[in-house]
Amino acid sequence: MAIKLEKVVEKFYQGLEEGKFLGRKCPACGAVEFPPVYACNSCGNLETEWVEISGKGVMKSIVLPAALSTKPEYRERMKNFAYGEVEIEEGACFNAVVLGINKKKRKEIYENGKLPVPVHAVTLQRDGYKTVVFELDEE
Amino acid sequence: MNQTTTHKYARSVSIIGVGCTPFMYTVDNPETNGLTEGEMYGYAALKAMEDAGITAKDVDFYFHGCASTLNGMNYLTPNVQIANWFGMKGKASIHHSEACCTGYLAIEQAVNAVASGKYNCVLTGCVEFGDSTPSPADNVETPKHPYKRDKMTMEKFLATTSWLYDRTYARAMMAPIELIYDDAAEDYVRTRGISAQEMDDTLNWMAINNRRNAAKNPLAIERTEFADIAKEKGFDDVMDYMRSPYNPKMGDFLRMEGVERKCDGAAACIVCATEMIPEIAKNLNHKPIEVLGVGCSALEATNPHFEIRATEEAVRQVYAQTGVKPEELDLFYANDFIITSHLIAAEIAGYLPWGEGWKYICEGRTAYDGDKPINTNGGRTSFGHAHAASGLADVYEACLQMRGECGERQVKKLPKTTMLRGYGGAQNIAAVLLRTID
Repeated sequence: MAIKLEKVVEKFYQGLEEGKFLGRKCPACGAVEFPPVYACNSCGNLETEWVEISGKGVMKSIVLPAALSTKPEYRERMKNFAYGEVEIEEGACFNAVVLGINKKKRKEIYENGKLPVPVHAVTLQRDGYKTVVFELDEE
Repeated sequence: MNQTTTHKYARSVSIIGVGCTPFMYTVDNPETNGLTEGEMYGYAALKAMEDAGITAKDVDFYFHGCASTLNGMNYLTPNVQIANWFGMKGKASIHHSEACCTGYLAIEQAVNAVASGKYNCVLTGCVEFGDSTPSPADNVETPKHPYKRDKMTMEKFLATTSWLYDRTYARAMMAPIELIYDDAAEDYVRTRGISAQEMDDTLNWMAINNRRNAAKNPLAIERTEFADIAKEKGFDDVMDYMRSPYNPKMGDFLRMEGVERKCDGAAACIVCATEMIPEIAKNLNHKPIEVLGVGCSALEATNPHFEIRATEEAVRQVYAQTGVKPEELDLFYANDFIITSHLIAAEIAGYLPWGEGWKYICEGRTAYDGDKPINTNGGRTSFGHAHAASGLADVYEACLQMRGECGERQVKKLPKTTMLRGYGGAQNIAAVLLRTID
C-alpha cells in the first residue's frame, strides 16, 4: 500500500448513500479511524485502509439540545434526540447525535444505571447529503 | 490521544510591559464609535511599550492576533495594515488566528521567537471587533467605509461561528458543534457525582464571582453586581434572581449569564530576553514576569470531551516542562466564554481539588477576595470577550496582580506564580505559566 492522494471524504458520503458506514483501519496497530482520515492517530502509521464498520456502539454521555444548541432543522428532521460521546465496537470514539432521547428517556437511562447505552448507526438526510447519526437499540 | 514532550526554553523570556483597552461596545458610545483597528491595537501596543519603559525602536518584531479578520476588519493581512500606528513601519510581523485562544498563543509565539535567540524584544498584540463590523455590514465583499462600523448581529455572529468547525465531518454530524455549551458540565456532574441542581448553583456562583471582580475593574464591560441587579428586580436573595427567568436556561445546564459578552477590545505585551532587560529596558520600573512555559494542545470538535482532554494535555506539558507543581499556583485564569471552563480548568490544573472545586466556587472562595482567586478581571462573562484579545487581557490582568497594582481588586496574597488556561477555536488549548522575577 502506498500513500495516495485520495478522495476519502467523498467515498465516506457515497457510502452513506448506499447505507454503508466506512472507516479506515490501521494495518499496523488495527485501530479504526471513524470518520475516516488518511493516517492512524493511535500509532502514527502513515497509511490506513478502508473498512466497513458494523455501526454498533454505545453512547457514553448524554446532553440534551436547548436554545443555544439546536436549530429548527434539527427538530424538524430528528424530533427527540441528544448529543454525546459514542464509542463504536471497532473502538473509535466521537461526538454524535443519538435519536430517540428526550428528558424522560434520559432520566430513565440514568435511574436504571444503563449508561453506556447500546446504539446503532443510521443515516439521516440533510440538505444535499446523508449524514450518520445513531439510534438507541430496541430494548 | 497523542502527547508531546516539550523542553525548557533556550533562554529565559519575560514580560516587561502590558497594555489593554477597555473592553466595550464601540458602536454604542459616541466617544468610541468609529475607532479603527490601528487605533485599538496601536493604543494597547504603545501602552505596553510605555509600561516597559521602551520605544518602538527597541522592538524587533511584532505578532498580530485576530480571531475573525474578515468579519471584524475586512482584512486578509491585518498585521501589515496597522504597523504605522505604533512606530514599527517596515519591521517584520506575522498575523495569527486561533479564535478565542489567540491571545494565549500570542504569548507562546512571542516567547518562542525570543527564546530561539532570533529576536531580543518582541511585541505581541491582539485586537478584535466582536461586536461590530466595517460598514456596511451586509457581506464581506462590498466596499467598506474608512472608519464607520455597524453592530454585528447575533444572527451573523452565530452563523459565522460555524467557520470554527471542520466542514467535512463536524458540521455534518451536528453534535461536535453543539456540545461546546454543555459537554463539560455534563462530564463534571457524571464524573464527580454532583446533582444537576448543584451544578446549576455552581454555574450561577461563577457568574456572580466574575461580576464581583468586574465591578472593581474600570476596564470591564459589566460592572453592576448581580446582588444589586437582583434587588432592583425585587429579589432579596441573589440566587433567587439567578434561578429566575431573568437568567434563563440557554443550554442543558448553561444559563444566559454563563455565556460571554462579545465585544470590542485590544491588548498587548512586550516580551524580552530576561538577560537583555538591563540593556533594552533601562527605564523599567517594575519587576519582570518570566514566562516559565506554555503547554499546548489542539483537539477538533468531533473528539469527545475535547476541552477536557486537550486541557489535560496542555497542563501536563507545562508542568513537565517547568517542574512547577499545582500547589505552587497563587492565581488562575481560564478563558470562560462558556463559564463551566472556569471550574473544570481549575480542577485539571490542580488549582482547585478534584471534585471539590464547585464547593470553593459556591463559597465565594474564587472571587478576588477569596483564598483561591480566579479571573480577577471578571472573566468573559463580565470583563467581556473581544475574542482574540481576551487572552492578552488576562495576561495584562495577571501581570498587574503579580505586581500588586490592582487597587481595590488586588488579591489578598501577592501572587508569585500564575497559570492561564486559554481555550478556543474548536479547540486550541494553552496553559501558560508565569512567575515574578525577584
